[in-house]
Amino acid sequence: MKETDKSADLSRLAMKRALSGSLLLTFRELWAMRLTQGIVAVSTLAWLLLSFAMNLDVVEGSISALKIFGVASVPDEMVKDVATGEWVRQAISVDKFVIGISSFVFGAAYFLGTLLGLFATMPLIGGFLEQGRIDLLISKPLTRSRLLTGHLLGVLLTVLALATYLILGVWVAISIKTGLWHPIMLLSIPLIVIMFGVMYSVILSVTIVSRSSGLALILTYGLIFISAILAAHDQLEKVLSPSAKLIYRIFYHVFPNFVEVVMIQSQLLSGEAVSSWYPLFSSILFGSVIYGLGYFWFNRRDF
Amino acid sequence: MSTPAITTQGLTKTYASAFGRKKIEALRGIDIEVAQGEIVGILGPNGAGKTTLLKILLGIVSPTSGSATLMGRPIGEVEARRKLGYLPENHRFPPYLTARQTLDIYGRLSHLSADYRAKHIPLLVEQAGLASWIDVRVGKFSKGMMQRLGLAQALLNDPDILVLDEPTDGVDPVGRREIRDRLRNLKARGKTILINSHLLTEIELICDRVAIMNFGQIVRSGSVSEISTEGTGWRIQCRNLPNALDLSSYNAKREDLNTVPVPVPVPVPEKEIDTGQVSQDEVNLDPNVEKVIILDSGLTETLNALIDYLRANGINILSVERHRRSLEAGFLDIIDQQKAKS
Ligand SMILES: Nc1ncnc2c1ncn2[C@@H]1O[C@H](COP(=O)(O)OP(=O)(O)OP(=O)(O)O)[C@@H](O)[C@H]1O
Ligand SMILES: [Mg+2]
Repeated sequence: MKETDKSADLSRLAMKRALSGSLLLTFRELWAMRLTQGIVAVSTLAWLLLSFAMNLDVVEGSISALKIFGVASVPDEMVKDVATGEWVRQAISVDKFVIGISSFVFGAAYFLGTLLGLFATMPLIGGFLEQGRIDLLISKPLTRSRLLTGHLLGVLLTVLALATYLILGVWVAISIKTGLWHPIMLLSIPLIVIMFGVMYSVILSVTIVSRSSGLALILTYGLIFISAILAAHDQLEKVLSPSAKLIYRIFYHVFPNFVEVVMIQSQLLSGEAVSSWYPLFSSILFGSVIYGLGYFWFNRRDF
Repeated sequence: MSTPAITTQGLTKTYASAFGRKKIEALRGIDIEVAQGEIVGILGPNGAGKTTLLKILLGIVSPTSGSATLMGRPIGEVEARRKLGYLPENHRFPPYLTARQTLDIYGRLSHLSADYRAKHIPLLVEQAGLASWIDVRVGKFSKGMMQRLGLAQALLNDPDILVLDEPTDGVDPVGRREIRDRLRNLKARGKTILINSHLLTEIELICDRVAIMNFGQIVRSGSVSEISTEGTGWRIQCRNLPNALDLSSYNAKREDLNTVPVPVPVPVPEKEIDTGQVSQDEVNLDPNVEKVIILDSGLTETLNALIDYLRANGINILSVERHRRSLEAGFLDIIDQQKAKS
């Protein structure tokens, strides 16, 4: 091996070590905050409930009996009879049942998980940037970008692990019960991680610039609230004046479409074609720009 | 000649406040050079810019202008920080980590191998006097213990340059002595140490050189003995000082020279007395014993006049040297002079 190759290898190894240090720091903090344990416990409860407390009888693709904790109920729906044109009560199809449960689990994980996750990580980023800690970290032989990446990667990997644990567990439980294996449901995992990442960009970058993680959290929640308004564009645009509509449009394109992304997931789950991937892509773009600004500031700021 | 460990050329730093209204000139042109193996102390009142200077060297704060090098490499280069140890002022470690976990993580950040970490961490913790605390969460540590752990962290990668911002802050006297001994030990191994402290007695004990900062500038630098003898008078050691040396006649004789301060002989044990006439009983000294007279004027003219006088009175002069005061007294003098100037 040539000398230069060797030293390049060595420095790559060294960089890996430095990154692992920064990752480990984040993992340890998340663990110490008991956040991960809490989510794991709730997830475990969710899929234990689905696997053991719920009994399903499936007859010809419909659910003929559903027992939860031994209490029986038959989930039904109103269906228009094709022959008579009348509405009749009918046992729900397994497909719909699966979609219903999956959507519920996804929705809960997406909204509750993200809101709570952002709230819980607020002290994490605050601690990371605290005087007396960040200065020591920066004095270590790794670039500031790598240091920040270690932190970010630590957070995102944790979210990925937690989302996978919950969704995969629920998916396996439901699939075994119903005999229906819809792998498309697993797409919820990357969707949750990506959108968490988009919202985390705000909390990270605003904290870096303003040194206030409280302000950052308020802004992030504000953006989620705005995205709920932006999700109703079909209804709202009809009633807005032209100038208000323009502002609304700008907001729609600039800000993350956190709430509208839920649509993508429910379309995916029900097997419909996804009408538009735009909310997801524009959110990713938003997140990338905000991360870019955050990294830029982190690199040039005095600590 | 080997590369200097630390150099800075014309470093300035102006902090702009959030809205750019108020600007703080924390550093205004700092030039220093620290040779390898030196222990240099940086002294100065609060807000003088000491921490800012150290932070610039470590790449934590970027200079407004000027440049600096560590072991010949420009600051800001990642490689320049590889063999560096740093103990920040008021450092914090994540409270939920144990001492061992803390050092392990910081060791990784310094690129240390798993073997190295496993071997050296318990050793350093023991040297820091925290052996029985190694698996205790840092949140339970007292201030002095945190400081000891901080120092262990700074030494973990066996650094060539050690930058310490108030390392003995909160450490008990025994711990402070241990730290001093370790720093001397490191110096003996050729390490360079830049240390920033308000405890001048400590600085005096370990530093080769000191630089005194005030308002973002280095107002004086030199060896500890240079600083502590600067502007002081003389110390005259003599024998056969008569019991009743008539200094009043000497005082009277000097009165024609108004510009020259009156020398004040002080009986052993040494003590400094304000300039003024000396009464007879104060110089009521034992003959045939070695005595020290401290002249608080630094003027050679006065010294020579006194020597003439002593010699004329048959007194044996054994030695004449600059009177040494404590570093603290020297420091306070220099800062007072600065205040008077501005
Ligand atoms: N991040 C910052 N933003 C704005 N001003 C700062 C910042 N850090 C330091 N200063 C200012 O720069 C000046 C020098 O501060 P520095 O911390 O370097 O002083 P110091 O000599 O270390 O003081 P001390 O002995 O109290 O530790 C002070 O006036 C301080 O207010
Ligand atoms: Mg300071």
